[in-house]
Amino acid sequence: MKSLVCLKQVPDTETQIKVNADGSGIVTDGIKYVINPYDEFSVEEALKLKEKFKAGEVVVLSIGPDRCVEAIRTALAMGADRGVHVCDEAVNNGDPFVMAQTLAAASGNIEYDIIFCGHRAIDDDFAETGAMLAELLKIPQITLVTKIEVSADKKTITCERDIEGGKETVESPLPCVVSSQKGLNEPRYASLPGIMKAKKKPVDKKTFADLGLTPDAKLVSKNFSMPGSRQAGQKFEGMEPQEVAKTVVQALRSEAKVI
Amino acid sequence: MTDKFVSIRNLRFLLHEVLNIENLTQFDHYSDHSRETFDLALDTAHKIARNLLLPSLQEMDKNQPTFEKGIVHVHPVVKEFIQECGKGGWIAANASYEADGQQLPFSVTTACHFIFGAANYSASVYPLLMYGAAHLIESFGSDQLKREFIPSIFSGKWQGTMALTEPQAGSSLGDIQTQAIPTDENHFLIKGQKIFISAGDHDAVENVVHLMLARIKGAPSGVKGVSLFVVPKKRRDESGNLSPNDVNVSALYHKLGYRGAPIVQLSMGENGDCHGYLVGDPNKGLSYMFQMMNEARLAVGVGAAAIASAAYYASLEYTKERRQGRRLFDKDPDSEPIRIIDHSDVRRMLLFQRSIVEGSLSLVLQCCLYSDMAGVTTGDQKSKFSLLLDLLTPAAKTYPSEMGVMSVSQGLQCLGGYGFCDEFPLEQFYRDIRIHPIHEGSTGIQGLDLLGRKVVMHDSKAFVLFLDEVCSTISVACEIPDLKPYAEKLQHEINALREVTYGLMMLASSGHNEDYLEDSTLYLELFGIIAVAWQWLKQGIAATKQLERKLSQSDQDFYIGKIMTMKYFFLYELIKTYGLIERLSEEDGLTANFDDKFFAD
Ligand SMILES: Cc1cc2nc3c(=O)[nH]c(=O)nc-3n(C[C@H](O)[C@H](O)[C@H](O)COP(=O)(O)OP(=O)(O)OC[C@H]3O[C@@H](n4cnc5c(N)ncnc54)[C@H](O)[C@@H]3O)c2cc1C
Repeated sequence: MKSLVCLKQVPDTETQIKVNADGSGIVTDGIKYVINPYDEFSVEEALKLKEKFKAGEVVVLSIGPDRCVEAIRTALAMGADRGVHVCDEAVNNGDPFVMAQTLAAASGNIEYDIIFCGHRAIDDDFAETGAMLAELLKIPQITLVTKIEVSADKKTITCERDIEGGKETVESPLPCVVSSQKGLNEPRYASLPGIMKAKKKPVDKKTFADLGLTPDAKLVSKNFSMPGSRQAGQKFEGMEPQEVAKTVVQALRSEAKVI
Repeated sequence: MTDKFVSIRNLRFLLHEVLNIENLTQFDHYSDHSRETFDLALDTAHKIARNLLLPSLQEMDKNQPTFEKGIVHVHPVVKEFIQECGKGGWIAANASYEADGQQLPFSVTTACHFIFGAANYSASVYPLLMYGAAHLIESFGSDQLKREFIPSIFSGKWQGTMALTEPQAGSSLGDIQTQAIPTDENHFLIKGQKIFISAGDHDAVENVVHLMLARIKGAPSGVKGVSLFVVPKKRRDESGNLSPNDVNVSALYHKLGYRGAPIVQLSMGENGDCHGYLVGDPNKGLSYMFQMMNEARLAVGVGAAAIASAAYYASLEYTKERRQGRRLFDKDPDSEPIRIIDHSDVRRMLLFQRSIVEGSLSLVLQCCLYSDMAGVTTGDQKSKFSLLLDLLTPAAKTYPSEMGVMSVSQGLQCLGGYGFCDEFPLEQFYRDIRIHPIHEGSTGIQGLDLLGRKVVMHDSKAFVLFLDEVCSTISVACEIPDLKPYAEKLQHEINALREVTYGLMMLASSGHNEDYLEDSTLYLELFGIIAVAWQWLKQGIAATKQLERKLSQSDQDFYIGKIMTMKYFFLYELIKTYGLIERLSEEDGLTANFDDKFFAD
C-alpha cells in the first residue's frame, strides 16, 4: 500500500500569536513549529496501512521554508520512508490554490494508492487544499474521515466520515484523496530507533522551477488583525426568576439583537 | 493557565551552546548522532511529557497506589508510560547497539528525564529504575543473567529496582542483614527484609527484578561482606513459566509527596524458597551498586531541578495575571492595581527560582557530560573526567535537592494563599520535592562523602582538577568586560574554598577527625554554591558570545535574560558563602561537644 501524506508545519497550539506591525502577517520570531495535528493522523494512518499490507511506502510531502525539514524528519522518525520538500520563496506562503497546484505537480513523480491531507491546517484554517488537490488530479476525495478500510486488492476504500449528528459510510475507487479528521487514530510518538533511522532516510528538496510551475494565486490577504477583546458579560441579580427571564429576553432582542 | 513546565529553549542552550555536546559525535561511539537527533529526542520527550504525563500529574497525587490482596495497584498511566518507554527505546537509550540500545549520550537522556520529571516526577522514576537495574546487570552480571533479564527490562515488561535499605540499615549500608545462603545449584536462598523500595511492586508490569544487597552466610561484617543479587518477584520454572519467587510485599508506605510511585516493604524467603542470583564476585556488592547509586544521585539532582522548573513556570504565569496592590509611591486608591510581577520583591522570588533551576540543571548536565567523556576517552583524559564526575556528584545531587525545596517554596509564596491550596499545583510540588534531600543518600551522607572521601581521594587530585576547570572558565570570562567583575568574584570564592579545604585537611591530619567532618554538610553547601556559580559563569560566557551575532528579538531577550540571571546569582546567592566560609574556618567542636542532656528543655 503506497501512501502520499501531505504535511504542513504550523505554529504549536500553545504559541501566542501576534500580528506584525503593518498587519501583513503574524510575528514569526520565537514561534515553535509542529506538524499540523490533522496531518499527524494522516501519517499514523498511512503507517498502519503499510503495516497491514506488510508492503508499500509512506512518502511525506511538505511545502514551506527550511524549518519544514524538522516536521518531515519527525514524520520519518515515526516511520515514514522518505520525504519530498518543496521549498521556494514563491510558494512558501501561497494560498490554498497555489498549495494544491504545487502538491499536484510534486505528486506527479510519486507512486501512490492514496493521498492523505489533513482536514484543515490549524494555522490558516482554510480546509480547501485537499479538495482542490483532488480536483486538479481528477481523482475522488473523501473528507472528514474517521475510519478507513482498504480492500485486499487495494482497488477500493471504505471510509466513515463525520456528518451532523452521525456517521456516513462512503466507498470510493483508489487512488483518491482522503482528509483526516480527529478520531481517525491516536498518532504514535517517534521512537529513538526511529529517530536514528530518520537521519538516514532521503528528503528530496525541490524548487518551483523543478516542478515547472508558475504560481497562480487566487487569493490576496489584505490585512491581519487580532480579535477585539471580549466585552464583560452582564449580570442580572436580585430579581425574581420571571423578571430575570423578561429582562434577558429584552436584552437579547434590543441590545444583542440576536432574536 | 498555560501548562509550561520546562524551557526547551534553555535545554538546547545548555546542551549545544554551553556544553557543546555535539563534540561527542566526533567519537566513534556517538558518531551516528548529530545535533538533529539530539533535538528530535528532546522534542519527542517533550511531546510525550505534555500529552501523556502532564494530564495525570494531579490525579496520581490524589489517587495514591493501593495495596490489595498482596498486590500494589498504580495509576493506569504508569503502564501506558512504561510501555511507551519500552517501545520507544527510552529505557535502553544509553545502552550500546549490541544491547539493543541507541548509544545516546547520558547528557541527552538526562535532559529528556528532566522533561519527563518536570511534567510528572512520580511517573518519570519507573523507567529510570529500569535502566539502572539493567545497566548493573549489563556491567557486572553473567551472560546468563544478561540474557534472562535485560531484554524484558528494556522492553518495559519487567520493572527493575534497587533494594538496599533495611529497617536497621538506611544510611549505613554496611549493617545490612539480609542473608544469602549458598546452594548446590546456581542460585542462593535469600532471607530478609527490605524497606522503602521504590516501585518495589506494582501492577503495571509482569514482573519485578530487584537488584538486592545481601550478605552471603559467613561473609565478613561491614561493607566488605555485602554482595549483589538479582532477586526477581517471579522466576521461571522448568517449563519456562513465571511462578512466584517467595518475595512478598508486607507493607505499602503512605508518603508526604511523590505519591504516584509506591515504596514498599519486602519480605524475602518467608517460605524458604526465594532464589537470588549472584552478580559478579561475592562481597563486592556495594562497589557494584555504587554504579547505580551514582547514576541515581544525578537523577535525583535532575528530578529536583525538574520539579522546581515546573513550580517556577506555574508561579511565573500566576504573577503575570494576578493584580494586587499599587506601586510603592502611587497614592491614588482608584488607580488600577498592578500585576504582582511588577513588585520588585516578586521579581526577586522569580529570579531566585530561575537561578536555582537553571544553575542546578547546568551542573547536573555538566556531570553527565563528564560521564559521557569518561566513557569514550582513555588514559589520563578518562581518569580526569571520572575524577571530576566523582567529586561533583554529591554536589549535583544535593544542591538541586536542598535549594530546589527553597525554590519551590518561593514559587508557592508567589501565589500567596492560593499557593497553599490544591487548586494550584504548587502545594503538590512542595510536597513532591521534599524527598530529594533524603533518598539516594541524605544530605548529611553526601557531605561526608564529599569532604571525607572525594576531596581527599588520590591526594586531592579531583579537587585540584576541579579548581583548574573553574579557573579556566574564570580566565575566559576575564576577557569579557561585562563579565570580568563576576569572574573576579568567583576567583575570590575559589581562593577561599581552597583555603577552607586545606584548613580542614590540616585538622584531619592532626588527628581531629571528628572536628574535621563535623560541618561537612556546610562544606557541601559552600561547594555547591561555588560549583553552580561556575556553571552560571559558563552560561554567561556562552550567552555573551551569542549576543555578538545578529539575532531575532526573542533570541536577544533570551541571552540578555540569561546574563542578568547570572548576575542575580552572583549578587544574591554567591554572597551566601561568606557565613559558611567563616563558620568552616573555625574549629570549636560546638555541635560535637553538645551533650544530649542540654537538649532536654
Ligand atoms: C520515597 C523514598 C524512596 C526510597 N527508595 C528507595 C529505594 O528504591 N531503594 C532503597 O534501597 N532505599 C530507598 N529509600 C530509602 C532511603 O535511601 C533512605 O531512607 C535513606 O538512605 C536514609 O536512610 P534512613 O531512612 O534509614 O535514615 P537514617 O539513616 O536513619 O538517617 C536519619 C538522619 O540521620 C542522618 N545520619 C545517618 N547516618 C549519619 C552519619 N553517619 N553521619 C551523619 N548523619 C547521619 C541522616 O543524614 C538523616 O538526616 C527510599 C526512601 C524514601 C523515603
